[in-house]
Amino acid sequence: MLTRSQVKSFISRYPDFRDEVLSIHYAPRMPKAMVKETQKIVALARKFNDEIARPLFLELDRKTHENPEFLPWDLVKKANEWGFYTMWMPKVFGGKGYNMPSIAYFSEEIGSVCLGIANVIGVHYLGVAGLMMAGNTRVIKKVMNDVVQGEKTGDPCLIALAITEPMAGTDVEEIELEDRGKITCHVRKVKGGYIVNGTKIFISMGRLSKWTVLYGYTNLKKSSENTVVMMVKQGMKGFTYGTHENKMGQRICTADVLNFEDCFVPDELVILDPERAKGFTKQKSRDVKMRHLDYVLSLSRPVVGSFGTSAARGAFEAALRFANEAEIDGKPMISYEWVQCRLAEMYSNVRLGRLAYAEANLANQHRGVYNILQMKPIYYYLKYLPLAFFNNVLSPLLTNRSIGTWLMSKWYLDGQKPEDQHLCTGLGSLAKFNGTDIGVKNCQIALELMGQTGMRHENGMEKILRDAKLLQIYEGTNQLNRINVFKSLIAPACPKAKIFEE
Amino acid sequence: MITALNKDLKPFEDLITEFAREELKPHVEKNDRYPYDSRDAEIIESNFRKIYDLGFLGIMLPEEYNGIGQGISALCMMLGHVAEVDASYSLIIFTSSLSQEVILAAGADKTAKKLFPQAKTAQDYFISFPSFTNPGQVVTLPQAAISGKDYKLTGNLDYLVLGNFTNWAVIPAKVSGKQGYSFFLVDLKDKAVRKSAPIFSLGLHACPIVDITFDGVNAQLLGEEGEGEKYFNKASKVLHVATAAISSGIMKGSLKEAMDYAKEREQGGWTIVNWSEVRMILANMTVKSKAVDMCVAGTCQGIEAGIPDWGVYSMAAAIHVHEMACEVVTDGIQVLGGNGYMKDYGQEKRYRDARQVQALLGLVPLRKLSLIREISA
Ligand SMILES: Cc1cc2nc3c(=O)[nH]c(=O)nc-3n(C[C@H](O)[C@H](O)[C@H](O)COP(=O)(O)OP(=O)(O)OC[C@H]3O[C@@H](n4cnc5c(N)ncnc54)[C@H](O)[C@@H]3O)c2cc1C
Repeated sequence: MLTRSQVKSFISRYPDFRDEVLSIHYAPRMPKAMVKETQKIVALARKFNDEIARPLFLELDRKTHENPEFLPWDLVKKANEWGFYTMWMPKVFGGKGYNMPSIAYFSEEIGSVCLGIANVIGVHYLGVAGLMMAGNTRVIKKVMNDVVQGEKTGDPCLIALAITEPMAGTDVEEIELEDRGKITCHVRKVKGGYIVNGTKIFISMGRLSKWTVLYGYTNLKKSSENTVVMMVKQGMKGFTYGTHENKMGQRICTADVLNFEDCFVPDELVILDPERAKGFTKQKSRDVKMRHLDYVLSLSRPVVGSFGTSAARGAFEAALRFANEAEIDGKPMISYEWVQCRLAEMYSNVRLGRLAYAEANLANQHRGVYNILQMKPIYYYLKYLPLAFFNNVLSPLLTNRSIGTWLMSKWYLDGQKPEDQHLCTGLGSLAKFNGTDIGVKNCQIALELMGQTGMRHENGMEKILRDAKLLQIYEGTNQLNRINVFKSLIAPACPKAKIFEE
Repeated sequence: MITALNKDLKPFEDLITEFAREELKPHVEKNDRYPYDSRDAEIIESNFRKIYDLGFLGIMLPEEYNGIGQGISALCMMLGHVAEVDASYSLIIFTSSLSQEVILAAGADKTAKKLFPQAKTAQDYFISFPSFTNPGQVVTLPQAAISGKDYKLTGNLDYLVLGNFTNWAVIPAKVSGKQGYSFFLVDLKDKAVRKSAPIFSLGLHACPIVDITFDGVNAQLLGEEGEGEKYFNKASKVLHVATAAISSGIMKGSLKEAMDYAKEREQGGWTIVNWSEVRMILANMTVKSKAVDMCVAGTCQGIEAGIPDWGVYSMAAAIHVHEMACEVVTDGIQVLGGNGYMKDYGQEKRYRDARQVQALLGLVPLRKLSLIREISA
């Protein structure tokens, strides 16, 4: 048999077996309470679907067609009432502190009924991720406190994230491309803050969000080294909204143009600044930015993968309902082998999509940003310690400018090995493009099975097809995500490979 | 491609491309709408009248019935060019041909001689038809009962193309006590016909579709009782390739817009057409679009030459082309990134329209299975 060192050497040879099958290595380490908590969250999502989403979603979609300027305030208020905007914010910042991976299962549930509604809830957490991953605890505390108060008072406070520009979509999602692109959102240092000029486009829930995580650049030619991330608040002087995009699907979730004209943002709202970062990390500005972006996308892309899985599931469920009811030549449609095989294929797509995002979650949990939170003792401390501990001990510690920011930045900026970073971002991209491709694919199979029934708005299926297409585009197009999988997970085996050359 | 193989069609092609460019193109975005409102009757009527005046509604109808008397190549060429701009109008022209072919297949010569030459308006000339159905697959069709010399229809029929606009429809219904179904000509102005509001559908929005309820409306039998399936199969056999032509037109539109955009849009310091992956997507779209173009043209030629099994080619071409079209329009959006998802560009409409066209003439898998039935028989 093999010696221990032989086993190690075979296992770690490319492709490293430990990285290839995360589930067998990490599932046993999952705290039991986390499974229970996730079940509770899925149950809550199902209840919300029964009581709010299912009765409403088609009517809301119709309203957005009748009036393209329609804003889903009532829906946002409902989601706020149900506590959805604080569920995945850490307890120390006033949130409910649910385990982050559970948001993917939650999103799959809601998205299987309506992707637009899932995004009305989910994209707030893209903002939360952008804010958190900059590690500025004072600002995190301030903004999250607004979200918590918004929940208490019934006046929802959401967070959007604005990085895309009219001339730069793919370019701002990939640090290797940024400096070659036409970036225009300029920020200039002045006393006490920055002056912002520029435009951001396609910002999900932009005009419904009180706070926005904004990416600006002090040097437009070398933006990768000169990115300033800041929080801007609705109503700030010089910050206005442009047109409300007329989209094919996910219409209930707005995509907005954000205009900045000599908008002053005070230093207190700057969350990532290359100059200030030098004080507490040895990393170069460009690396800090890359790490930040990688973290955010490693978190958000598996969730988009779960959206894609939910589209696949919605389509599967619609086709199943149809096949259960329809007849062919006087016999139940569901009894035909060819129908059963198509349904099996769709079902398999759903499960494969889910496995892909579950693996990406495991990477984030054990090799990425949630690493510490997932260690059993820490998980249980955070889950069961009384709230007073968070408020009186942890919170002041973390919001102390130097200790808090130092702690967070050590944890976030210096805490992850490059190979772990590759694993997390690679699996995030894989879950994203795989889940969203099978989403569109299942829609196609369902529509072929359903014929004219699938074409009618009232039956819901055609809406899933419209909604699903967006998923292949945002959070990096599926092309960019495929290239990222190559870059992060395959390129180590290809010494000659150059990325973004051809 | 069709005109390249058949030069005689050139004058028609010039006419149709000019019409599509001048009359349809400027209004595509405006006409792709929901909800329908009072303006719609006017919009539909004016576009419709133009199509009628140019003779497009009777392109395959023999001259003796006041048609143009052309073959399947001319129809497909026309449907393709129109679909390249707005496939909704292809659906109108297609449905007109389908109902005419059913009437002729039923041997209802007298009816045809009365209907078409006497028609003074587009509403009279165009005969509505449930083009998205193979009536043989519908579980509950309207019921027909004999009443004197004629019949009376009761019950519902879903998804009648332009049923809210025209005066006549060909309706499939079951005669009590008879096997199979039969076709009837129904006057849609009759008080015993109730029409729903236009159905909110995935695509082809400029061509409204309604559900119909019959409360004992008078109906005239077309051909023989219980022979509906035979007539439908005869008519659809040739027209399957016409649905393929619509998809082929949509693909060309999608490819052109993607190509134009890729040559303009810059990312990573150069136009995106320089990224080899974007080029590969465009290449895949081109391969599919060109192969499909040839497939439609070749099938038309085969049908006109009366090659053996031409019906099988027609149906196979349609199934294959629709599949390719749905892939191409999905990539067509992708090349434009976020902009492709917005209504300011044409790609999202094509993404919807291609699926709607695929649903013509009944469920895709059942069409496939009927193909194998025909071959193995
Ligand atoms: C409805 C909607 C909501 C959105 N929400 C948000 C939001 O909340 N916040 C936010 O910041 N952004 C948001 N986005 C923006 C989204 O992330 C971008 O649309 C996406 O990154 C693609 O950018 P683009 O649209 O500019 O496409 P482009 O980057 O112009 O891409 C066009 C095509 O070129 C390809 N391409 C470009 N570069 C390369 C390359 N190097 N190699 C290979 N192929 C390439 C792309 O894959 C694509 O097919 C949203 C977009 C939409 C449509």
